[in-house]
Amino acid sequence: MANRRDFLKTTLGASSLMAVGGVVPEFLANTASAADKADKKKDTVLVVVELTGGNDGLNTVAPYGDDLYQKARPTLAFTKKEVLRLDDYHGLHPRMNGFKQLYESKQLAVIQGVGYPNPDRSHFESMDIWQLADPKRATTGGWLARAIPGMTVRDAGVPGMYLGDERLPVAMQGADGGVISLADRASFRLQLNGNQTGRKSLIEQLNTGKDDGADLTAFVRKRQLQTYTSLQMIEEALQGTGGNGGGRQEFVNGRFVTRDPDDLQSLGGKLNLIGRLIQKGLGTRLYYAQLGGFDTHSRQADNHADLLGNVSNSIQNMLSQLGEHAERVCVMTYSEFGRRVRENGSRGTDHGSGSCMFLAGAKVAGGLVGKHPSLSDLTDGDIKYHTDFRRVYASVLDTWLGVDSKTVLGEAFEKLPLFDMKKKAERVPQGGPGDGPIPVPDAPLPVPVKD
Amino acid sequence: MADTLPGELSKVDPESAWRAWQPAAGAFNRKWAAHLFRRAAFGASEPRLQQALKDGPAKTIDALMVGEPDAADRLELLTETGRYYSDPASLRTWWLYAMLEGGHPLREKLALFWHNHFATSYAKVRSTKLMFEQNVTIRKHALGTFPAFLLEMSKDPAMLVWLDSNRNVKGVPNENFAREVMELFSLGVGNYTEKDIQEAARALTGWHHDVEVSAFEFNRELHDDGTKTVFGKSGKFTGDDVVKLCCEHPACAPFLVGKLYAFLVSETPPPKALLAPLAEQYRKSGYDTSALVRTMLSSRLFFSEHAYRKRVKWPVECALGAIQTASPDRVPLGDVVEPLSKMGQALFAPPNVKGWRTGTDWLNSATLLARNNFTEKVALGDWSRGPRARPNGRTFAFVGDSIKPPSEGPKGDTPSAPPPDAKFDVCALVYATNPKTVGDVVKRMGELLYGDAIPPAVAKKVETFLLTPQPDGPRVPPNPKGPGGPPPGAGFDTAPGAPPPPKDAPPPKPKGPEPKRVPPKALDPKDVKLDDAAFKARVREAVHAMMCLPEYQLG
Repeated sequence: MANRRDFLKTTLGASSLMAVGGVVPEFLANTASAADKADKKKDTVLVVVELTGGNDGLNTVAPYGDDLYQKARPTLAFTKKEVLRLDDYHGLHPRMNGFKQLYESKQLAVIQGVGYPNPDRSHFESMDIWQLADPKRATTGGWLARAIPGMTVRDAGVPGMYLGDERLPVAMQGADGGVISLADRASFRLQLNGNQTGRKSLIEQLNTGKDDGADLTAFVRKRQLQTYTSLQMIEEALQGTGGNGGGRQEFVNGRFVTRDPDDLQSLGGKLNLIGRLIQKGLGTRLYYAQLGGFDTHSRQADNHADLLGNVSNSIQNMLSQLGEHAERVCVMTYSEFGRRVRENGSRGTDHGSGSCMFLAGAKVAGGLVGKHPSLSDLTDGDIKYHTDFRRVYASVLDTWLGVDSKTVLGEAFEKLPLFDMKKKAERVPQGGPGDGPIPVPDAPLPVPVKD
Repeated sequence: MADTLPGELSKVDPESAWRAWQPAAGAFNRKWAAHLFRRAAFGASEPRLQQALKDGPAKTIDALMVGEPDAADRLELLTETGRYYSDPASLRTWWLYAMLEGGHPLREKLALFWHNHFATSYAKVRSTKLMFEQNVTIRKHALGTFPAFLLEMSKDPAMLVWLDSNRNVKGVPNENFAREVMELFSLGVGNYTEKDIQEAARALTGWHHDVEVSAFEFNRELHDDGTKTVFGKSGKFTGDDVVKLCCEHPACAPFLVGKLYAFLVSETPPPKALLAPLAEQYRKSGYDTSALVRTMLSSRLFFSEHAYRKRVKWPVECALGAIQTASPDRVPLGDVVEPLSKMGQALFAPPNVKGWRTGTDWLNSATLLARNNFTEKVALGDWSRGPRARPNGRTFAFVGDSIKPPSEGPKGDTPSAPPPDAKFDVCALVYATNPKTVGDVVKRMGELLYGDAIPPAVAKKVETFLLTPQPDGPRVPPNPKGPGGPPPGAGFDTAPGAPPPPKDAPPPKPKGPEPKRVPPKALDPKDVKLDDAAFKARVREAVHAMMCLPEYQLG
């Protein structure tokens, strides 16, 4: 990036926020000075996709070759003919064409039997455990937030970004200024009708003050400054991108929104924007997006199919359009728990434990990781996990992000063979024949900026 | 400090903390009156605040507890109108209207608290009728007793839909409701076992809602009438018993008191002992919420620095508070619905059954920006002007559809924003005390927005801004896509049209092709006319800037 330095100068260098010393969030000062030293090899990006509600692992990677599976799920099980076959025993959900193609090009790791001891079946408790990476929940601050201090971030980038309009996920809480949220493009703009310059300067002046410790006012002040600084950076990253609104009205997250290809309300839209930000050279290394609706207590089949189709195609679509940046990007999915082996009386499934995770990307060591947990040896009607989820985190932290996992997780975990860092990037297949058409992506990515 | 409590919360004696505050003459001033109304209401209009200053805290709290004399009539009318709205935006506007005009803001404040406690979302319920009816139930019990409230919420059709109760039948129980009734509605995590939940779910089998008439029904045939064991007690329990057992559980009162404390008093985690007398009172009174709230609001602790600005305002408090303090007349509340979503609180649509994440979690870059942008709207009086005249006086034909196209954002500097409709003009409030000098104006602004005096350093900066004429013409190229970079020295230029730095050109230099700008100089206060239109425009802008102070986000 020839214009990296220019980018820095125009965003931070020119900003009078830089001149106010102690009130500038520390990560900005650090990253600004470290920007030119950034090592390209440590420029990897992790995109975390949270499947909220407890994804039914058994119908995601279905053990279709097992009679017990068919018996436990009289209405929900997939047959040999229905699944997207991985081998004689495992098959992907029929709607996961995108993932099937990634799997075939060895860019998808399917990690089976992931969980933790004494599983909690409360959404919130279990989600906290996954996001804190601590079954005892003694830690404050999420695992991604704890990884931020150990990361190098180029271009004075914001280390972590959450795309969504809910509160910051626990995984990213406690980063103390290292994480911003992006709800939608229009919302990320300060309204100043009339005289902008004078008022902007006044607001800035009123928000500078001595950094008076840990009280609430100091916290809010820090957040205000962080907001104003990120405003400019993101605005520039967004310049010249974006499609035309489709104008469709949809009810999303409690309100009606007009669909825009990059409106940040759909998973596809979020991932597309992430793709663009990566291509733009924004230094952000952790992105976090969510897709809700996995709490399928009743009439699971159709909903679950739509959700998994969305996940699989949105992720594949983003990866396939990253161009030369593809080898820097890895996507990880997780959910707070799996679901009971037996379906319930409402053609749905209740909260269970143990599930599967996916890692996708050019440098991912593709294939099945670990055995499918036995369906004849259950605990309270749930499969037994054999892989602690923190082993996955540890592998991602050490191998992919270059952050010492022991520092972040508090103890050492045995790593899993999830990455092949020497692998030559293979082009991610784009669409192609499958059991069903891949939906038209929300918006095309722009041609990568030429340097 | 209004009252002399130890500066460290752990050293505060719990018994004396909750005794009613007996202020010395003059101690109940604007600061504490505004504090009371921020917590017990959604801020206060100027006349209401003046009345409170005359009445003192005891009489003011008495009035808050019961609402206006005609509150019952207003409630009847409100309830009549509310049932006719068939889209969520109108229902939201309706509730905002009830908060400001229902004659009983404390009741609405508690209703908001309970809406978050029994968080149910239209996103799954998909019926404004059921959401409205739940809202009526919440309002009915907001200041009532908890066991009756919990029982009625357990049979509330919106709740039954929300937590899959119709799926909970004998033989194949669905544990969703049984879990949340313990985890989120009455006890909190750690006070029950998985077994308790499974057994309680059996007791709750058959508590369904009739889809045809949208009402609760007990489906005896699908009810499991066997013996269940919950919290170590056994019996042929029903749903009623589960509610009763939860309310009898020793964890129930402390759990609820802790949540109310964070909502009404402070978000700083208190020592356990501090809340013990309140939990005791709550349990002994049969969970009389009204009495508990009165104790909290009247207390010495409430009127102390341990409570003052120790909470992050919820978005609804932030929005309605801004309107009440800075808009002389009622505004079209339909305009508030969208900004509230951006601030992270779409009414009737909490993110999940746990409710909104409150406290500092309310504030991230996106939500904080939404707050800054909303206060701009209030300070500049930028409300939609529909073809229909806005009703004046006490009428309930109100739901204002925002017909104004969405603001397209700033286009660069303009000489000044056009003056707003007089009834939305914050200047009317600022000038109500006949300020004679620029200093008076600033003092009055501080009083309005913050209740107490603003620090001299802040006052000085605002004064300088007010004395500095703004340029007549645009400072950045009027064409948003035009050449040139962002003005050097601009801290956070966020104009949508701020062009990207040219990719191949060197970064803009201070002495580039743009004419060198001389910063405008402050005028002598003698040369400033306070009723000058340009000066008043600066007053509005300064009000916005003051609403962007960190303190403004704290309630």
